[in-house]
This record gives sequence, C-alpha cells and structure tokens, in this order.
Amino acid sequence: MAGKTGESTRARKTYVPWESLPASRETIVGIGTVLPVVALYVLIAVVPIAFAFWASLHDIHTLNPEWEWVGLENYSEVMEIATFWGSLWRGVVYMVGSTLIQLAVGLWMAIVLNRITRGQKLLTAVVFTAYLIPTIIVSLVALRVFDPAGGVFQALGAEQFGLWGATEAPLGSREWAMPLLILIGSWKFSVFITIFTLAQLRAIPDRFYEAAKVCGANRWQMFRDITLPRLTGIILVVVLLRSIFMFNKFDIIWQLTQGGPGDATTTLPVLAYKTVYTDQAYGFANAIAVVMFLFLLVAAIAYFTLFNPSEEVETTT
Amino acid sequence: MSRNEPPGGVFGLSYDDESRVFEALKLLSTVIIVVVGVWPIYWMAQLAVTEYETVEDAVTVVPTPETFTLDNFSVLANPEMYTYMFNTVVVAIGTIVTVVVVSLIAGYGLARLSFPQKENFARILLIGYLFSPIVIGIPLYQIWQSIGLLGTRIGLIIALSALSMPFTVWLMWKYIMTIPEAHEEAAWVDGASRWRGFRDVVVPQCRPAIIAAALFAFALAWNDFTFAQILLPSTETTTFAPGVLRAMSQAQFLPDAHLMAISLVMTLPPLLFAYFMQSYLLKGFQVRAL
Repeated sequence: MAGKTGESTRARKTYVPWESLPASRETIVGIGTVLPVVALYVLIAVVPIAFAFWASLHDIHTLNPEWEWVGLENYSEVMEIATFWGSLWRGVVYMVGSTLIQLAVGLWMAIVLNRITRGQKLLTAVVFTAYLIPTIIVSLVALRVFDPAGGVFQALGAEQFGLWGATEAPLGSREWAMPLLILIGSWKFSVFITIFTLAQLRAIPDRFYEAAKVCGANRWQMFRDITLPRLTGIILVVVLLRSIFMFNKFDIIWQLTQGGPGDATTTLPVLAYKTVYTDQAYGFANAIAVVMFLFLLVAAIAYFTLFNPSEEVETTT
Repeated sequence: MSRNEPPGGVFGLSYDDESRVFEALKLLSTVIIVVVGVWPIYWMAQLAVTEYETVEDAVTVVPTPETFTLDNFSVLANPEMYTYMFNTVVVAIGTIVTVVVVSLIAGYGLARLSFPQKENFARILLIGYLFSPIVIGIPLYQIWQSIGLLGTRIGLIIALSALSMPFTVWLMWKYIMTIPEAHEEAAWVDGASRWRGFRDVVVPQCRPAIIAAALFAFALAWNDFTFAQILLPSTETTTFAPGVLRAMSQAQFLPDAHLMAISLVMTLPPLLFAYFMQSYLLKGFQVRAL
C-alpha cells in the first residue's frame, strides 16, 4: 500500500545509495539519459571510423578478407590516382550546383507557400511529399521519362529543342548526365530548405508587417528588413547541411547513372562504392572514406568558424 | 515618414500597382509550383494505370479507355516485391520507435538536468551530420558481418536511428526547453516522481516535436538506399529501394508500368503524412532545432 506522502512511495523502490555515490544523483540520471545516444554514436560512428582507419592501413580483398599490412601506402596511392582528383572535382561541381539551385528554389517556394491564401494546405502537402517520396521512386520516374523508348522528356528534348538525338539516352551522355542529375536531385531536395524556412516564416508575427505597412514601407523593404534578418540564421544552417548531404550523396547518382557514362558522374562516394564492389579493394576504399571524412571535417570547421550558424541559432531560442 | 515624399512601392510603382504585380507574380509562382510538383506524381499515376505494352515504347499523356488497366497492380502480389515492402515497413516502424524513445529521453536530460560536459556533448552531436552512409557503411559492412548483424533488419534499424540522432535529439532538447518547468514542479509538489512528471507532463506536451521527429525518422528509413544496399546484401531480406534496383538489373520480367504501379503504392503513405501532419511538422521545426 502506498502511503500518503511522497517519501513512503519512494521507499518501496529498490534502494539506491545516492548519498554515498561520488557524483550527485542529478549528474548520474542526466548522464543516464544521454547514454543510449552515446552508445548508438559509438557503435555507428566512432567504431566504424576507427575501423576504417585501421583497415585503410591494410591491403584487403573484399571477398577474401586477408589483412596485409601496407602502412600508409593506400593513402599515397589515393593522392596519386587521377580518378580520385577527378571525382573530388565532380563532387564539388555537383555539391555547389545542387546547393545553389536548391537554395534559390527552396526559398522561393517557402515565400510563395507562406503568402498564398487558397489551397495552402494542399499545396504544402504536395511540396512536402516531394521530400518524403523515396529517392528510388524519383529515380524510377526519371529513368522512365528520359528513356529513349517512350520517355516523354527524351522525346520533347530531341524533337522540340534538339538537345539530344532521337535515340540517344540523355542520362547516358557525357554532356547531359551531370546537369540532369543536379536538376532531378533538386526536384526532391529543394523541399528540405522549404520546410525549414517555411517554419521560420510562419513564426514571424503579422503585426511586424502591419506596423511596417502603417509606416509606409513597400514590399521589398518589408522583405529586406523583417523577413530576411529572421531567415539568415536558418539559411546558413541549411546551406551547410545541404552541402554536406549533396557531397555525400550516393543513392540518386547510383540509381540513375551508376557513375557513368565512363566517369562523368563518379563523385567520391560512388568511387568508394565502386572500389569496394567492382575493384574488390576493401582497404583502399576505406582510405577513400577516411579522406572524405577528413575533407568534410575541415570544411565544416572552416564554415563554423566563419559564420558560426549554431551560435546564430542558439541565441535566438 | 514625411508627407512630401512621393508614395513609393517597388520600382516607383504606386502601392496599388505594386500589390497587383505582387499578386500576379504569386499566382504565376503557384502555377509553376503546382505543375512542377504534381507533374511527376501525376505521370507516375497515369503510367501505372496504362497497359504495360503501351508504356514500353510510346508516350501517353492520359490513359484512354482502350489502354486503361489495373492489371499493373498485380505486381504487389509478387512474393519478392511483397517481401521488400514488408521489410521497408518493419524497418521504418523500428526506426521511428527507436528514434522517438531515445531522443525524448536524451532531450529531457539535456533540457532539465545538469551534468558535466553537457555543452560539449551537444557540440559533438552536430558532427553526426558529417557521417555519410557510404563512409559509415563500408566499414560497418565488416563490423556487422563479424557480430552477425549483417543482413538483419535490426542492423539496419540501428544504423538509421544513429543517423537521425543529431537532428532529433537537438529538436527534442530545444522543444522541451520551451515547456515551462513550472508544470513539472506542480506535479512534483503533488508527489509525482521525476519519471512520472516526465511521462505525464512533458511527453504529452511534446506531441508536435514527437511527430516531427517521427516524420524525420520515417523519411530517412523510407528513403534509405545506401545503407540497405550495403548492409542487406542478400536479395531475400532487403528493403524496397535496393531490392527493386536489383530486380531491374536482373533480366527478369519487370515492365516499367509495373514499376510505376508499385512506386505509386509506396508514395501514398508519405502523401498522407504530408497532408495530415504538416502543421505538427512546421510547429516542431519552429524551435530552430539544430
């Protein structure tokens, strides 16, 4: 039977000698709450990166894992091969192109969605769906419409605009594969920026705009002085995130072109994947993965010190 | 504002003209968004209900009575496809549950309890954004193989949950900070334990954040291709995305119209979520979680 006071309820539980422990009860419970996250992080991040580094010092065949110590040889090889620098360059092109298009389109969509009066909910749902649709489905539709046999965009591009030959597959041409990858990806991922900026826009109270209107401000001035300052913090964050995500993008590239034709769309993640499964060089692929991680780490630290988006965000909450 | 100044909108237009131009631009933008946003979904739907022989080599815009068919959906009964979809659903649910539980507890701890290195923990959390599935997946392949998680759904759920942690933990943390602590104190005064206060006071108020985190986890799991491709190598136990790609590369009977039919079915859950949950989603994201 539980007593009437809080103390007697507590006494029923297993006895924990909080007073005699070296740390306070709050510290222990607090650390306990984040332990699952730490455990997941250690398992999924720390261990694999350490393992990747260890494996990158060996020569390993993917299907026949016999570890042969080679030291830093894999790294010097990574720096020497032309495909690495080529892939890095293509990855940067893909990242910068995608991020710029997504930022422009995403911001524009957020501003429009925030301002329309009729059908707002339905239109927002349609836009959000684009982000939630599995990448594979975006790829399947894209493969279908750019297929020389009955693909509507392929036919349009060939007949109306003369962009490519009537029987040519645009995704298989050196000239078009990369731009199309950027555009197809942007259809889906622009919405990421829209979601974040729209949430911010909804949080701006209407009275700010009303006050500005009374003072005779025009729409551009309102946008510049009310909307934009509210968005800068989140824009910095999403640009950072989108750049990282696009640099790491593997799925949509692999599904659409598998890095081809030739090496035309091989970025670093695709190169690493190909190295594991096509070249069967597991140790070498790990060296690429480690180098990729280091690149991102340096880029992110540089970005954080230049703009400090997290501080921007923290101060406003 | 001085009265002598000419009343000026953008480009020296009068305010009325400015509003008219603005309305026109808004309408045009809406039309473009509708066309570009809906078009691929419409195209997928119309190909899904057209006879597959027609789809293979001709461009159709609307299904005519002659070519209309629902036979394409028979692909759902294909045992292979059925397994892929079932696995995807299991992985999505598992990821959502893990992510919500773990991030709620951690978010509560970060918001309400003080312990050493808390700020540093939050900073390290952000590094999680740098982990790309390919960088993690390649070493994880060997690690999972040696501890027997390779090819299991649990292995994939763990990997996907960890990937969504930086975002969802941060979201919960910032969201719980917006809930006044006084609510909980009132419960403590009435004799509730910290756990009771968490369960009965904090969790119900976190609904928007929970839904936002769940949607984020769902999008990640439903979308995932890279991890599943690497960590579920055998065809029988894999999820939809890698499964369908492998089925395409093997020379078996899989016409495009059937692919569109199954894609349409896979698109429906996200569409429904996006419609019914968007207000929660936007509310959850408003806390500038990152």
